[in-house]
Amino acid sequence: MTSSGPVKEMASVSSTNAESARDAARRPHRPARKAWRLHYSRRIQLWGVSFVLPTLLFFAVFKYGPMVWAVELSFTSYDMVSSPRGIGLENFESLAADPIFRQSLFNTIVYIAGSTALITLVGLALALAISTAVPGARYCMSAMFLTNLMPILAVCLVWRFLLHPYGLVNQLLAPFGVDRVDWLTDSATAMPAIIFVTVWRFAPYFMVVFLAGLLAIPDDYYEAAQLDGANAGRRFWHVTLPLLAPMIFFVIVVSALLSARIFLMPYIITGGGPGNATRVLSMLIYETGFSYMKMGRAAAISVVLFTIMMVFTFLQMRIFMNREQV
Amino acid sequence: MARGKAHAAYRIWAHSRRWLGLMALLALTVGFVFPILWMVTTSFQAGEKMFQLTTEWIPSVLHPENYPNAWSRANFTQYFINSAIVSIAVMAGNIVFCTLAGYGLAKFRFPGDRFVLLAILSTLMLPLEVTLVPTFLVIHQFGWMNTYQGIIGPLLIDAFGVFLMRQSILSIPTDYIEAARIDGAGELRILLQIIVPQCLPALAVLAIFSFRDSWDQFLWPLTVVSLDQYRTYNLGLVQFGEDYGNPPTEQMAIAVLATIPVFVLFWVLQRLVNKGFGLSGLK
Repeated sequence: MTSSGPVKEMASVSSTNAESARDAARRPHRPARKAWRLHYSRRIQLWGVSFVLPTLLFFAVFKYGPMVWAVELSFTSYDMVSSPRGIGLENFESLAADPIFRQSLFNTIVYIAGSTALITLVGLALALAISTAVPGARYCMSAMFLTNLMPILAVCLVWRFLLHPYGLVNQLLAPFGVDRVDWLTDSATAMPAIIFVTVWRFAPYFMVVFLAGLLAIPDDYYEAAQLDGANAGRRFWHVTLPLLAPMIFFVIVVSALLSARIFLMPYIITGGGPGNATRVLSMLIYETGFSYMKMGRAAAISVVLFTIMMVFTFLQMRIFMNREQV
Repeated sequence: MARGKAHAAYRIWAHSRRWLGLMALLALTVGFVFPILWMVTTSFQAGEKMFQLTTEWIPSVLHPENYPNAWSRANFTQYFINSAIVSIAVMAGNIVFCTLAGYGLAKFRFPGDRFVLLAILSTLMLPLEVTLVPTFLVIHQFGWMNTYQGIIGPLLIDAFGVFLMRQSILSIPTDYIEAARIDGAGELRILLQIIVPQCLPALAVLAIFSFRDSWDQFLWPLTVVSLDQYRTYNLGLVQFGEDYGNPPTEQMAIAVLATIPVFVLFWVLQRLVNKGFGLSGLK
């Protein structure tokens, strides 16, 4: 609505301008005008380039440059005191033999797989529940979305208390005959607990994404399916799911990218423990680089994490390219 | 008669199904919201109550003094000012540069434009967690350790914002732009008066998420800040928890205060956001 003002104004002005342009076209100075037009389109092109240029320069300094530097550093030993010393593949070799690194890599993969699967399923289930349009669904949606706006540090602190052996979660489970569980200090439950908190925080966001997709499916399809005698389950399986498939794939990739870079949740909730049960690669990068000042080794871990993220990014780009071509 | 009975039964069934659905949805909502309520109620609780085995959802005695007590134990005024400076700067940077780049990529053709788009999208695989060490070295070389520009710098533009703005601007008809050009409007005027007013929902989404993301930044300030005066609120809050042996009520008081700015921003921009997500068809 706000936009119609200036556009209308432009449109009304343009009709008078179009007349003068027609007058100009009758005059016999074509070659000069063509040259000017070429120049003009080049000028517009230059504007386009100059709009994008600041962002590109920024990424060159803070993204591409550092990544190249990280790859370079990963072949060196560097402690910021003496200059980097090339050591070839030694960092990677010692990482491959390091049980803590292997455990962290394994944890990262378990975490990505677990939280991506659950975020997608819970997000979709919530969106379906909301889209049945019971009265007040909109308020429920807004309320759930708050978990996504709460500062992530507050989320971590709250859940650290809730999952404490004497915390609220165990209090609520006690009437059901569940014995006190040491959620965060038992290596069997620590990672599932962190995945649970991740889902609690991020599923409502993807609920909104799915909801937008669900609302975009025309009602006619459901009506036609109903006329053909399809029950709710079949309508979901044969109408909703195929039409939502590209969005489901998108959500999977985005939440995988999101969970691959997780740092704060394990750092605050469990501190990487018990033992190394919840230590993930981003924590290991920070500790190796800034607690032990082994910049080269930290860069080598970065390269490993980068490789994981690259797989998901390429998947994302492929969906993106496919969608653009349609 | 029998048909009428069946119809009445169906109506009762449909009606109760509606209520059942509402109940289920309410239960789910409570499941998602109760930790937030717990945070608020705990912040008003007496400190010693925390170690009892039951949770009082409405404290019998309110202890609002938890707030000033927590606030005075560390330099939280400075921490919150720092967080505000960083988050507002990052939000402004994202709004300006993502709109510019998004517009340039959506509505201009130049050699290599497609490659540029992919190059920008590819930075999604280079979050700060991955490039932590070299980005730290870059900031170190700039002499930006323990400065605002050091915290803000690497966060200033996010590829997701560029992508969001591009997708939003793509849906604006190019005719508007060409009509304005014929009328002699400058390129910047076209951007400000034609493009920006039409992508307000996307800008609202961008504003909320860029603010929240920088308000949430922990790892990066932890890496570049070592002086107390440049700490953001979350570094201060974690330090506070470590220094004072986790007084939960006071930690929750600070957590509540940290939550307010994001909720307020969302509340202010919510109408635009729903439009941006295409949820206006929802009851």
